[in-house]
Amino acid sequence: MSMLTRRRPEARSTRRREGSKRPRSTRRSFWIGVAFASPFIVGFFGLFAYPILASGYYSFTDFNLFQSPDWVGLDNYEQMANDDVFWKSLANTLVLAVMGVPLTIAIALGGAHLLNTPIKGQPLYRAVIYLPSIIPIVVGGYLWRWLLNTQYGFVNYFLSWFGISGPSWLQEPDWTKPAIVLVVLWTVGGTMIIYLAALKDVPHELYEAASIDGAGPWRRFLNVTWPTVSPVTLFQVIVCLIAYLQIFTEPYVLAQERLNNISSGPDQSMLTYAMYLYQNAFVYLKMGYASAMAWVLFIVTLIVTLVVLASSKRWVHYGSK
Amino acid sequence: MKNSFFTTSRSRRLGVIAIATTAALALAGCSGGGDSDGPTTLKFSYLWSGPEAKVLETIIDDFNESQDDIVVKGVSSPDQQKQLTSMSSSNGSFDISDNFGENVGSWAAKGVLAPLDEYIESESIDLDDFAPAALEQMKHDGQTYALPIAVHSFQLLYNKTLLDKAGVEPPTTMDELADAVEKLTVTDDAGKISQLGIGDAKTLTTLTTMGFAFGGSWSDKNGPTPTDPGNIEAVDWWQKNVVDLVGADNLADFKAGEGQYLSAEDSFFSGKVAMIIDGEWRAASASEVAPELDWGVTSIPAASPKLENSTQVTSSTLFIPTNSKHKDEAAEFLSYLLSPEVMEKFSLTLGNLPARTSLLDSDAYSDLPNFEVWADALTSPNAQSLASAPYSAEYATDLDNAFDDVVRGKSKAEKALDYVTTRTKSYTK
Repeated sequence: MSMLTRRRPEARSTRRREGSKRPRSTRRSFWIGVAFASPFIVGFFGLFAYPILASGYYSFTDFNLFQSPDWVGLDNYEQMANDDVFWKSLANTLVLAVMGVPLTIAIALGGAHLLNTPIKGQPLYRAVIYLPSIIPIVVGGYLWRWLLNTQYGFVNYFLSWFGISGPSWLQEPDWTKPAIVLVVLWTVGGTMIIYLAALKDVPHELYEAASIDGAGPWRRFLNVTWPTVSPVTLFQVIVCLIAYLQIFTEPYVLAQERLNNISSGPDQSMLTYAMYLYQNAFVYLKMGYASAMAWVLFIVTLIVTLVVLASSKRWVHYGSK
Repeated sequence: MKNSFFTTSRSRRLGVIAIATTAALALAGCSGGGDSDGPTTLKFSYLWSGPEAKVLETIIDDFNESQDDIVVKGVSSPDQQKQLTSMSSSNGSFDISDNFGENVGSWAAKGVLAPLDEYIESESIDLDDFAPAALEQMKHDGQTYALPIAVHSFQLLYNKTLLDKAGVEPPTTMDELADAVEKLTVTDDAGKISQLGIGDAKTLTTLTTMGFAFGGSWSDKNGPTPTDPGNIEAVDWWQKNVVDLVGADNLADFKAGEGQYLSAEDSFFSGKVAMIIDGEWRAASASEVAPELDWGVTSIPAASPKLENSTQVTSSTLFIPTNSKHKDEAAEFLSYLLSPEVMEKFSLTLGNLPARTSLLDSDAYSDLPNFEVWADALTSPNAQSLASAPYSAEYATDLDNAFDDVVRGKSKAEKALDYVTTRTKSYTK
């Protein structure tokens, strides 16, 4: 690269005349750099920056995708405050997050411990746990619809071995949310693998020292493992929360009654925020309202994430440094 | 410069390649076909697939052979989202397509559909021959924006074996229907439903049809009318005679175990539901998945003599998007698809009703079991359809949720429909 920036005297004089500050060769390499970065630049502005700004503008308009938007000021936001389906979808989503996030963390951390035990066939178990994450969510969703069927499904048949008569998972409003969380947990393998990597990083000396001090397995977990993996836990909690706040595919597939129909489950219990946003945008063609909803979701997500980050000072440990 | 990796010529070349690659990526998918000389190529994108798509392809071949000016290319694309996005850009990907009657008003209001009136005249399509209830849905602000190729009506289907066993005659009045439902509903020792008197294929279509049968109406010129007295009476009737009879929880339990719609496990086909209100497509699927089933069909019972032969009509429609570059040619092909012989060939495939009333007497349909009951209903003065308005989709969702509340015993008919009225204020105008 130094070759490129070396200045030749005659070149400098011509440059002065042009009034430019940088040598031509530097300028050239700058544009070459830009050219190489252009796929990202075009992608970023075309696929992220522009749509984000446009949706901000649309959120203050009445826009139906086909005709030019009409400025309506804060109407969409006001309408949202009075729309009880909006509140219902937000409540459904928060309930799912409150149920799902702790379960995901607990199961992933517990499972990672099991996968970390040195036993025969360990790689196989790891692969099997991760396998559902590879299956497309829609395929998994349809599979679970069948598994959860009251009459033909395997889940209730399995429960009946233990004398439990299973609920109508997808028809009783109280059971639809556990059903959704169950289907999401099916792909917990991804989170588990990250924990597994974190567990490998826990210094062995600490366990040994704790054992010498007479700490049992539970104490060792509480005083050694948990603090050491806490930065990873913070990451997992935030990622998992955001995923739950935007959950769409699982409830959409589980609630669907017929193809190309809008369904939100019994008593609208499966209507999540993202589903209602989608309905407004692509079924009712209320793009303005949907854009406003998207911005509210963004702000809610931001606030929740900041709260988690603020709380992290109390429970996340970044080693002794 | 000799040792530099980026020699001038190479770096320029690489830069050009990088820019070109980006440009190609950015432009991918924006290509469009065009033709100047020779026959015009028309793109016909349809939502149909399977047997309907197959028969459509033979119809397209016939059309292409019949003349030299237009070549139609058919594409089966059942994704409604794709259809919408294609119509939202200035350059569409198709010249003619199909959808359902209830979307016409909404799309026409947004300027997506090309008005067809001048083509109806130039192609001399006789609108008087089409089922009036279906044509109503095709209009917006006095103009026609789509035309039906096949129509559907709802009637009462019954399982002959179960009715005979219970000693019940096919009902003709709402009181007889209530009586039949009671006699045909069987619960086991544990109180669980083992046989249901009347089922609903879909709560929304069943209860809106019942609304019409009780003389109700779901909208008028000024918009939705969910609390029309006839509608309340119908939903109330359903709650008292179907839901309360077995208990809402019990009914929900039964519905939870129902198999896939129109499959061999479909509750009507498997004999777990004695009667059901559904459309003529049942005839074709019954002979396929439940050939043993002995079933009949009759008009929806009348709440009063002047409401005899009430039914709901829905339709499959053809339209030309505003962004089509070949509207004249598309209209010619549209007119061909709607011609009596072609319509007959198409509607026969899945046992649908033809949109032209002159075809209803055709011998071609005589092989379809009980076809005439559905066909007769089409020309009935009490055949109605849901308004096709800009707010139709929102209205349907809210009605569906209200009916769901009623069927689950969460709400009474009047309260549930009152709630829909409060929702209508935010609807798209």
